[in-house]
Amino acid sequence: MTPGSFFCGSADHGVSRRGFLSAAALGTAGTFAADMTQLDVWRHSAWAEDVKKKDKRVILLWLAGGASQFETWDPKPGRPTGGPFRAIQTASSGVQISELMPKMAARMQTTAIVRSLNTKNGDHGGGSSLMETGRRKDPGIEYPDLGALCAKELGRIDSAVPDYVSLYSSTEGRRKGTSGFLGARYAPMFLSENMVPENVRRLETISDIDHQDRAALRDLLAKRFAQNRTSDVIGSHSNAYQRVRGLMASEKLFDITQETEAMRAKYGPTQFGQQCLIARRLVEAGVPFVKVARAWWDSHGQNFETHRELCADLDHSMSALLDDLKERGLLEHTLVLTFGEFGRTPQINPSLGRDHFAAAWSASLSGCGMHGGACYGKTEPDGHTVAEGEASAGDLFATILAALGIDPLKEYTLGARPIPLSDFGSKPIKEVLA
Amino acid sequence: MRKTVRLSWTSLWLFSTCFAWLTSLSLAADLPPTDAPIEQVIDQFVNARLMTEKITPAPQADDHNLLRRLSLDLAGRIPTTAEAQAFAASTSPTKRVELVDRLLASPDFPLHQRNELDQLLLAHKPNDGEFRKYLLWATQQNRPWDAMFRDMLVGIETDENQKGALTFVKSRARELDDLTNDTASLFFGVNVSCAKCHDHPLATDWKQDHFYGMTAFFSRTYLTKKNLLAEKQVGEVKFSTKKDGQKQAAFLFLTGATISEPTVERTKEQLKEFDEVVKKQTQDDNASPPEKPGFSPREKLVEVALRAEDNRFFARNCVNRIWAQFFSRGIVDPVDQMHSANAPSHPELLDWLTRDLVAHGYDMKRLIRGIVLSQTYSRSSEWTAGELPSAALYAVAKVKPLTPRQYALSLFIAAINPTQWLAADQPDKWTQRREQLENEANGWANMFEVPGEGFQVAVDEALLFTNNKRIEDEFLRDSGDRLVGYLKTLSDDSAMIDAAFWSVNSRSPRDDERAALKEYLQKHAADRVVALRQIVWALLASPELRVSY
Repeated sequence: MTPGSFFCGSADHGVSRRGFLSAAALGTAGTFAADMTQLDVWRHSAWAEDVKKKDKRVILLWLAGGASQFETWDPKPGRPTGGPFRAIQTASSGVQISELMPKMAARMQTTAIVRSLNTKNGDHGGGSSLMETGRRKDPGIEYPDLGALCAKELGRIDSAVPDYVSLYSSTEGRRKGTSGFLGARYAPMFLSENMVPENVRRLETISDIDHQDRAALRDLLAKRFAQNRTSDVIGSHSNAYQRVRGLMASEKLFDITQETEAMRAKYGPTQFGQQCLIARRLVEAGVPFVKVARAWWDSHGQNFETHRELCADLDHSMSALLDDLKERGLLEHTLVLTFGEFGRTPQINPSLGRDHFAAAWSASLSGCGMHGGACYGKTEPDGHTVAEGEASAGDLFATILAALGIDPLKEYTLGARPIPLSDFGSKPIKEVLA
Repeated sequence: MRKTVRLSWTSLWLFSTCFAWLTSLSLAADLPPTDAPIEQVIDQFVNARLMTEKITPAPQADDHNLLRRLSLDLAGRIPTTAEAQAFAASTSPTKRVELVDRLLASPDFPLHQRNELDQLLLAHKPNDGEFRKYLLWATQQNRPWDAMFRDMLVGIETDENQKGALTFVKSRARELDDLTNDTASLFFGVNVSCAKCHDHPLATDWKQDHFYGMTAFFSRTYLTKKNLLAEKQVGEVKFSTKKDGQKQAAFLFLTGATISEPTVERTKEQLKEFDEVVKKQTQDDNASPPEKPGFSPREKLVEVALRAEDNRFFARNCVNRIWAQFFSRGIVDPVDQMHSANAPSHPELLDWLTRDLVAHGYDMKRLIRGIVLSQTYSRSSEWTAGELPSAALYAVAKVKPLTPRQYALSLFIAAINPTQWLAADQPDKWTQRREQLENEANGWANMFEVPGEGFQVAVDEALLFTNNKRIEDEFLRDSGDRLVGYLKTLSDDSAMIDAAFWSVNSRSPRDDERAALKEYLQKHAADRVVALRQIVWALLASPELRVSY
């Protein structure tokens, strides 16, 4: 980013920076808008611009604590490790999933499964960080998570809606997420206390007129100050304030009472279901990334009872979400993902639980860019190891980015260091891509 | 495996190219004399390059701008109205030097410098009380940088002043990679984990020994159960190479200097006993404090890094990082990329400043004084001559985002009733007041982002300013201790607008700004206090208060 970046500072980078600077210098003499447009161009590659035109979005259903692959996407009925549940045929020939997911079985044509994740980290903190960023921690670097990457790659700089919204469910899912070196500009709007984001509602102590008038006065002072000063700190400050009214208006997106009774009934009464409905409202309004965390999958005891309850919620809410997105013509632009920090052990412990397990587990990818009905990779008959098509967290991330039309090999530059969007050596899983 | 090898090779390449460039350090006679004032030498080299590039730099910043910049850079806050008006009114021909010396001697300076160093050195774990206490003690007495380095790496646990310094190592003791990389980056300007993803054509020229050599200095360091820093008696770093298979790392410094460990024959029983001791230390609350090993690799690292024939990384990095604190970029930039492929923008200047720093015992305050007295430092941030020249030329001042603490402190100062400030000639009371402010600002500072590379203001910040009740309660209330409370006692619009501008922006309003505020007051005449509150909000939420310019 700095002119001193010599490693991967490609020629275009230099050109677009100069373009930005001169245009901004011109812009300050007249309109400020010219500045912001150029800033946008500077920040995003031409390819990312193309993607934005297509309005791709992502909803990540984060299964906090680690869902069992056996009771979801990779059942092993009749095996010692299989547990009590049966496998059922899905709408995709040859693909069977757990009987706890009957609604998704009927909708398998929308969804691809990856059954061969080996992510090697069975610790909640480390696993979460790995599956949030698609790579292991590195000294000296704070990596952005998937939401922040998508906010940057898919968002619009002057967007009237948030770029990245993260919905809480309960303590276990309450990892805020991080925009890392991309900075707070791409940090999630995190709903930690209730269903409405913080600071989007005007205080009762100020009238709407005063609220608007003082903002106009602030803009005037800001423009006066920005004259003859080229700085993307000042530019981003103005941009942030210009987005305020739009974000305040987006409060209604979080209000599901604006939906019909019938629609709310489709998603069901659970908090997770309601948050899925909010997620649909958000992506419909143009929010590029929404994370809905569903907690309590960490079933060290009573794994089967836990999954009977949680899978019912997941199966129902996810199906309703996919149906709704499809009916609105949004599914082909919206990628719906389910995974958490890891899967669960083949061994069933004395408390009828399954423990942390990262060596052979599953994720699902539905909608945008996916080859629906595809099932990639195999675990051995008891699910202890990956038998075929081993995939890393980086491979999963490369697949996600490719599905969204984002080049996984694209690089950011941090200091002098080039950082590819998906981890070094990772490759998209072509078999699940459309 | 492939990944591991690539990491090492490229890291090595960096080490080694650094080495090539830094050994060519010119201490030639053609540098300006040793006794030349720092500020003159800075201007001489920066201006020479501007001449070569045929660029006329921006004019010098005006008085109010310079005062504001100096206050933020040296005191960590905007000036008070009294300070701003006194400086504007002064006709002394040496008022700038007087101001700089006053600020450097003020209680503000060590507090601010403490905050800067805390952010730099412990960014991953800010606000550690012990470490901040140490840093304040060190900055209050202008402790030399080499002594601080020694305190932080091998300080004495039982020394009241030094024990906090060890937090630097302790907080990283469980992550050998972080400890190695952060030490190399922060003290020597070399990021060893960098270039992880690049196969550089030169990379194959170099060996892995350098990379693991640095790690070897730290590999015996561990923390006891009681959180005391300790070093094992023995321990080797082994690594795999493509060509030669497994190798043992030597204690190899960046300059190529190696430290040899005296050979001591150990029996199996002795080695087993060492293991037992470490085990006890790390598991037992009641274990006695660890014994110092006969050979301490960390101590050796400090020794080699500071000795005259090998101190070029350490000394240059100190100059470069202080320079970057004031100019937002290093003479070598990025600051952790000191190597031959990343030449300094002003190599002779870096050489001269490095020589000067070493000759004056790593006196950071002296270097800082020289930097802020230079014409290079005091240019305007406005550029009207077309395309903006490269930042490496220092033709125009860079707009810098305030750090969270600078911003929080400045908000408090801007929003307080300006007549309540103590006069500058009450230094004793000011110390107390400033420390109180520092504490008040803490909570607010946590709400803002620490600016990093390519920093952009987040929309959350704008939403916070716009709709959070705490902003209204803290900064916009009309009680007698706040700016709004003072402004409402002024019946004359012009005087009121002047007072608001001096408080927040440390200057008089320009004609168009005054007109805009007057118009606002007229339009909102129905409730003057409400109108004043909105005016103050608009000033506080403007970019002018958000940045140093």
